[in-house]
Amino acid sequence: MAVSSSALTPHVPAAGESRALAQRGISNPVLGMILFIVSEVMFFGGLFAAYFNVRLNATQWPPFVNEAVFRPFQIHHEILLPAILTTVLVLSSVTMQLGVWAIRRGDRTGFLRNTGITLVLGLTFLVGQVFDYTQLGFGITDTAFGSTFYTLTGFHGAHVLGGAIMLGVVLYRGMSGQFSAKHHDAVEAVSIYWHFVDVVWIALFSTLYLL
Amino acid sequence: MGLGAKRWTRRAGFVAAVGALAVLLSACTDFNLRTALPPDAASVQGQASRNLYDIVFVIGVAIFVLVEGLILFAVLRYRRKSGDDELPPQIHGNNRLEIIWTAIPIAIVLSLFVLSWQTLNTVDAHTPTPPVRIGVVAYQWQWQFIYAPDGVRWEDCGAPANKGKCVTVFGTPPAGGDRSNWTPPTMHVPVNETVELQMHSIDVIHSFYVPAFLYQRDITPGRDQVIQFTADRIGTYRGQCTQFCGLYHQLMEFQVKVESNADYVAWLQQELTPPPSPSPSGPAGSPGAGAAAGTSVTLQLTASGVAYDKTDLTAPANTPFSILFANNDAGIPHNVSIHAGSATGTEVFKGEIFSGVDTRTYAVPALPAGTYAFVCSVHPNMTGTLTVK
Amino acid sequence: MATTALRPAATYRTGAYDWLTTTDHKKIGILYTFNSLILFLVGGIFALAVRTELAQPGLQFMTESTYNQMFTMHASVMIFWVVIPFLAGFGNYLVPLMIGAPDMAFPRINALSFWLLPLSALIALLGFPLGGAAAEGWTSYSPLAQSKFSSGVGTDLWIVALTLVGTSSILGAINFMVTIFKMRAPGMTLFRMPVFVWTTLVTSVLILMGTPVLTSALIMLYIDRNFGGSFFNTALAGGNAILWQNVFWFYSHPAVYIMILPAMGIVSEVLPTFSRKPLFGYKAFVFATAGIGALGFSVWAHHMFTTGSVYLPFFSLMTFLIAVPTGVKMFNWVATMFRGKLRFTTAMLFAVGFLSLFLIGGINGAVLAAVPVDYHVHATYFIVAHIHYVLFGGSIMGIFAGLYYWWPKMFGRMLNETLGKIHFVGIFIGMNLTFFPMHLLGLSGMPRRIADYSATAGWNDLNLLATIGGFTIAVAMLPFLWNIFITFRGGEPAGDDPWEGNTLEWATSSPPPPYNFDHLPPIRSERPVFDLRHANDVPALTADH
Repeated sequence: MAVSSSALTPHVPAAGESRALAQRGISNPVLGMILFIVSEVMFFGGLFAAYFNVRLNATQWPPFVNEAVFRPFQIHHEILLPAILTTVLVLSSVTMQLGVWAIRRGDRTGFLRNTGITLVLGLTFLVGQVFDYTQLGFGITDTAFGSTFYTLTGFHGAHVLGGAIMLGVVLYRGMSGQFSAKHHDAVEAVSIYWHFVDVVWIALFSTLYLL
Repeated sequence: MGLGAKRWTRRAGFVAAVGALAVLLSACTDFNLRTALPPDAASVQGQASRNLYDIVFVIGVAIFVLVEGLILFAVLRYRRKSGDDELPPQIHGNNRLEIIWTAIPIAIVLSLFVLSWQTLNTVDAHTPTPPVRIGVVAYQWQWQFIYAPDGVRWEDCGAPANKGKCVTVFGTPPAGGDRSNWTPPTMHVPVNETVELQMHSIDVIHSFYVPAFLYQRDITPGRDQVIQFTADRIGTYRGQCTQFCGLYHQLMEFQVKVESNADYVAWLQQELTPPPSPSPSGPAGSPGAGAAAGTSVTLQLTASGVAYDKTDLTAPANTPFSILFANNDAGIPHNVSIHAGSATGTEVFKGEIFSGVDTRTYAVPALPAGTYAFVCSVHPNMTGTLTVK
Repeated sequence: MATTALRPAATYRTGAYDWLTTTDHKKIGILYTFNSLILFLVGGIFALAVRTELAQPGLQFMTESTYNQMFTMHASVMIFWVVIPFLAGFGNYLVPLMIGAPDMAFPRINALSFWLLPLSALIALLGFPLGGAAAEGWTSYSPLAQSKFSSGVGTDLWIVALTLVGTSSILGAINFMVTIFKMRAPGMTLFRMPVFVWTTLVTSVLILMGTPVLTSALIMLYIDRNFGGSFFNTALAGGNAILWQNVFWFYSHPAVYIMILPAMGIVSEVLPTFSRKPLFGYKAFVFATAGIGALGFSVWAHHMFTTGSVYLPFFSLMTFLIAVPTGVKMFNWVATMFRGKLRFTTAMLFAVGFLSLFLIGGINGAVLAAVPVDYHVHATYFIVAHIHYVLFGGSIMGIFAGLYYWWPKMFGRMLNETLGKIHFVGIFIGMNLTFFPMHLLGLSGMPRRIADYSATAGWNDLNLLATIGGFTIAVAMLPFLWNIFITFRGGEPAGDDPWEGNTLEWATSSPPPPYNFDHLPPIRSERPVFDLRHANDVPALTADH
């Protein structure tokens, strides 16, 4: 039953070495990030489904406010600030992609500059979002409208924060010289995540503010 | 092959013995063949469901016998004989078989689907003007059945203007969970008439289930449900809430009494006639309104948030007294009942059950000194101690 | 028995620190297994509490409040902390070995996935001393689960715990998918992978796409309970109680396939080995697995037929259809045994037991696809019978088959076969005694989730019978526990390949060295070790495909 050691038995690849062998294509971390994003899409899907469900079941939107039970609220739907925030976030995706292209070329300076700008734009978005919250006249307890609005935008904001932290890590690692044209999986992965966060915002903005 | 055949028959005999044992065991229990199938249907729709079930059941049993038979056959026939180390033919598959045993099941399930859809259309069919309409209110943890005359909506039966026009069956759970002397609330319906139930829940999701009708429907707060049935067999059939609704879900039983049209009308008439005004004496259950003669003590008690506001009350011994009871729970029925010793003790007084927001004054007869419990007949978790001294 | 390792087989007498910090998929797989085994006993005790109370009419042993916690936590523990992790543990241990990889793609995330489990179990069980564990049923419908009707902290702990379990699952699914797609040894094409790896792959897709929806539902419920949200509250605040059911079941229905597919994969490994024939219809199996996965996302509302808020024909049709690929698998398994030379080791007994019992569960499930039938038996003991025939008769039997089959590989020692057979007979008889009567109880109208029942409804004897069955199962577990104990003390050494298996895990020592393989045999079919063993036999036996 002993295994014969001959030329027939091939070399067993070590973890991470896969790119050098038959399995080319995207790296493990990038594939992992793509799959993670699929799960995040489903997570937001559940929240969006809740929004559409309560909205379509309501006789009016926002739902009837029974002033004996709830304090009345007004919806200040100033679309200007959210529109500006949308532009900021879309811009940040552009700079993120510029950074990725830079490091693919080996241009470390360009990569660092663009990633830095992306991080600043992302933080700007977050600050703007928090400010917008203070301007709205309603809270999470104000009927299903408030619940869905704050949960959707709040979790999106949390994801932006997570992305900002990841950008910070990538920036730090980049500044200590850990990335090159051949080895920058983390940058690719984080950039995909950042684009995802942007796409979710566009969907949110359209659903909550435009529809 | 002698040894192989002996082993095979021995194994088959063992299987038969186990089967016989199972049958014998079941014969010794109170299980009879009836419980192997759904109950005999007591409604037209239930009969349609029952017919469908019988077909589905037969097909299910046939598939079970076939496949289980194949498994048993393989297990008995293809056992490796000791010492046999030769490999059997290494068959990897057979595409034709795959197609056959995919196509035939598809055909079977599609036919079953069509059959079940047709039955569903019968079961859920609605007539626009049912002769009998009953309001069903589900709450933690019992039922109300409200019969409103023509021109009155059952939802309006509580209004003062409609006093005396509606018949309301108020269900209360068995005291202390003891079912032995308890009758579930009864929904009377005439036989062979279409009955419409307009169902409403005031708190959580409940479900209205009558096994003899082979039918249930969830009642979700905010989504009132309308169902219809035509009972076609006289009798009394048990019902129960099937959607888990909290602490005393298991007590939410009721029954449906299907009777002749004459009996049904007579029952309605009897319920609409107000009872003669009760004399102030009598130890058990004066539903009274208004203070008893000569009472000086009035206890105050409020129900709010499905709870009493006090857990201790004191009353004088051997003297009638009053309880001013305020029910502040909108739409939720409460009352005050008094039991000797503990909440599961003998009931010595039962006040009228009514829905909030409303107030009643109960006239409680004289009680000997001792410790009693006061309990809400509808919500057994609402309880406190009454000290009589 | 010869060993293939160049160095002596790794022993597991390394210290606690090693076990606490390991990222080795094999050790993590073993951790999963023991965590699930312990929680299986915990969940089993809750079940015994339920059965003890129901043995006779009347509340003899506990209040309704305690009873409601018992059935809620029994189901929650069994689903989330026993069956799903047991199967994830098998996947962890076996997938890298079966595809010829040295470990999973993300070993540290793998460790995180495991440690979230005992942590979350403790959080959920913490409800008991803190005023009562969750008690709304594992399905936690609103408005009952809202703070107004269930004010204890137990429900909130349950929500947090499940969110952690979900995270563990999702991370695990990502790990499995990247490992399977990217780390297969040369020659290991997708259609040469063992069926167990395929079932793990499809299960991972279900987890990846379904579990996040549960996470969103749990978060919304938490917000309703603790931050005044109105997702599932009544129409007064715009919320919708039915929304909870939709979001919950969108995950929880695929969850049942998450629980059965890997068990089917285990059976698909055990049956061929002990039939001495290849699995019949390998490709059909793969397609049937993918079909179940895809269809599994389209049937969730069959749990809501009685709400009056569901488009009935669609969900009824899809539920009927999902019986087809399941049937295909059943026929392929039986065909694997046909004309074979069957060896009835304990693992094989459990695998064949799976076939018989899952057959019943599949049939009584297909019956439910007919809506008028469901109108009668929904939320009755008929459903409880169905659940347990598929989850106990299916998943648990498959898990035991896997334990007996791969225990020698994991620990280098053989489990005692006599004790194993006693275990099997006890479980098989106990299982049927407990759950078969429930079909009859449900058909006669006994609802589920009731702490007590009317003494005159005709249910007394069947309930007593079911309780006797429950205790039979409990007693039957004792020989298994004893078996583990004596095997660790001094069981028979296993060698590389005690069963003459087909797949790559049998091409290395038992247990394997940390790096898994010194040499891989050539991979030219879905049975590389079989091919190697018969390399010098008549060529027709080993098909190249």
